[in-house]
Amino acid sequence: MDESEGLMNEIFGAFPFIAANFGMLMEKTSEHLIISLVPLLAAIVIGVPVGIWLGHIHKGEFLAVSITNIGRALPSLALIAILIGFVGIGMLNAMIALFLLAFPPILSYAYQAVNSADRDLTRAARGMGMTPLQVLNKVELPLGLPMIISGIRTAAVLTVSSATIATIAGSGGLGDVILNQVAYGIEGVLAGAVWVAILAILVDQVFALLLRVAAPTGVKQLRATTV
Amino acid sequence: MTLSSTAPKTTSTMNSSIVFDQVTKLYPGQAAPALDSLDIEVKSGELVCLVGPSGGGKTTALQLVNRLVDLSSGDIRIGDRSIMDIPAIELRRTIGYAIQQSGLFPHYTVAENIAIVPTILKWDKSRITRRTAELLELVGLTPVDSWLGRYPSQLSGGQQQRVGIARALAADPPVMLMDEPFGALDPITRMAVQDEFLEIHRAVGKTTLFVTHDIDEAIKMADRIAILKPGGKLAQYDTPAEVLTHPADKFVAEFLGAERGLKRLALTTVAEVLLAKADSELPVESDLPKVEADVTLREALSVVSAAGAHGARVMERGSHLGDVTLHDLVDPPANAVDAKSGEGIGS
Ligand SMILES: Nc1ncnc2c1ncn2[C@@H]1O[C@H](COP(=O)(O)OP(=O)(O)OP(=O)(O)O)[C@@H](O)[C@H]1O
Ligand SMILES: [Mg+2]
Repeated sequence: MDESEGLMNEIFGAFPFIAANFGMLMEKTSEHLIISLVPLLAAIVIGVPVGIWLGHIHKGEFLAVSITNIGRALPSLALIAILIGFVGIGMLNAMIALFLLAFPPILSYAYQAVNSADRDLTRAARGMGMTPLQVLNKVELPLGLPMIISGIRTAAVLTVSSATIATIAGSGGLGDVILNQVAYGIEGVLAGAVWVAILAILVDQVFALLLRVAAPTGVKQLRATTV
Repeated sequence: MTLSSTAPKTTSTMNSSIVFDQVTKLYPGQAAPALDSLDIEVKSGELVCLVGPSGGGKTTALQLVNRLVDLSSGDIRIGDRSIMDIPAIELRRTIGYAIQQSGLFPHYTVAENIAIVPTILKWDKSRITRRTAELLELVGLTPVDSWLGRYPSQLSGGQQQRVGIARALAADPPVMLMDEPFGALDPITRMAVQDEFLEIHRAVGKTTLFVTHDIDEAIKMADRIAILKPGGKLAQYDTPAEVLTHPADKFVAEFLGAERGLKRLALTTVAEVLLAKADSELPVESDLPKVEADVTLREALSVVSAAGAHGARVMERGSHLGDVTLHDLVDPPANAVDAKSGEGIGS
């Protein structure tokens, strides 16, 4: 009874902590976002085009699938630990680890998005005299866009939440607060954790919104009529 | 309303026959060819149905024409020009292509779907707009304005198929390829769309290669039927009447089914029998069932049989044209049937 009451107090203590240390938290948040979003961006810039291209030529299923499986099999903590073991600590290493985390879902979703485009549709498109690029731009990409964004969404939530662990690699961010009970007290640790959770939910919601906007109109209609 | 006001008038003046010349297709890794030395000619303006068992090579034959599939050997010529002499993408833009489930882009409106080929061909906007309206009217989707902005998901299967046909006709291609375009429709819608398509075909006279599973559809639609057998060999290529009366071999006879004789009756209307009959004799009995002049002998036979009568009274818009006897229906005068089987080609 006493213990749980204490825990409740500490959880509620997190909110005054957030209020009192708002400036510091914001600073850590921006660090945190940089650590997570830079690798995410890099994974998008490489993973999306490669995935789209492999999907368009219907090749590389093996590659896309095995990269995904490796990504799934490796927990982010282990990945970062392994990486630190290999390349040492520092912000760059944390980012490399997060990039490796973000890349598989982005690549495999982009691949699936294009590869799984309805073959009858692409056949009709080619049969009407569309060039391969037109088939990609007018059929495969618009219809696959929601799935591509889903991949980025998964990766974004993953990097934002895992960036906490990147503190182990000495890279700053909200992990600095969460993993430093000595300096910030239990309220600080909880506040940091709550803050990261909120951040991850926010990122998730931003993409949810983006998804709604990106779904092609006719396809949205379809959903509306079948529901 | 004429169809060609916004489209170049190509079809009537140009030879747009499709000639399969010893066409063989062997897919890599397959032991037997999907098509084996196919030799057929689809004359300019003709509607030819390709029928045969599943896996008989029908889709393959169609996709060879627009080069979605590459020839293994032999040649295909459209209007005396080998398809191999034309870049594939350019070739496809001159061939209308319609497939099962319509193949409409779900993220495009009706108008955008119809405009696909004209847009690729860089027609100007006002011409595309006029052409789209024209086509929707042609396929019976009126008032045009209420259809333009709809998405395929907001259309019934039959309506989608009509848009699919409009889309295939958009750039007024001289040649049309249709792969089981009505395969997914219920029987009633299917009949309606068949009738409409036949009317359109007569109006625009495109050389049409039409794949179907359904032998009844082929009998109804085709000027000539090409029947493929397993292994992609041509079993018979002839008019529906000829195929039904003189099947080339056991395979064809079996493919046509036990009702071959009845199917043949579906080729002729009672009006044609009345015309062919020298003496359209007057009523023998007064309680004859009535049939409309444009029903087929098969349908009339069904009516007569259901009524337990010996003949039927033929009506047209309420007036009495004459009578047909049970005997007329079962064994129609030869000239009534011949008139039918000779029709279509080159008309
Ligand atoms: N891309 C391909 N690669 C290998 N074999 C193929 C390919 N496409 C078709 N085939 C084979 O070629 C044969 C003919 O196929 P096709 O699709 O032309 O038949 P079909 O008459 O259209 O059949 P259905 O009535 O079922 O549509 C089949 O045995 C099929 O398995
Ligand atoms: Mg087929």
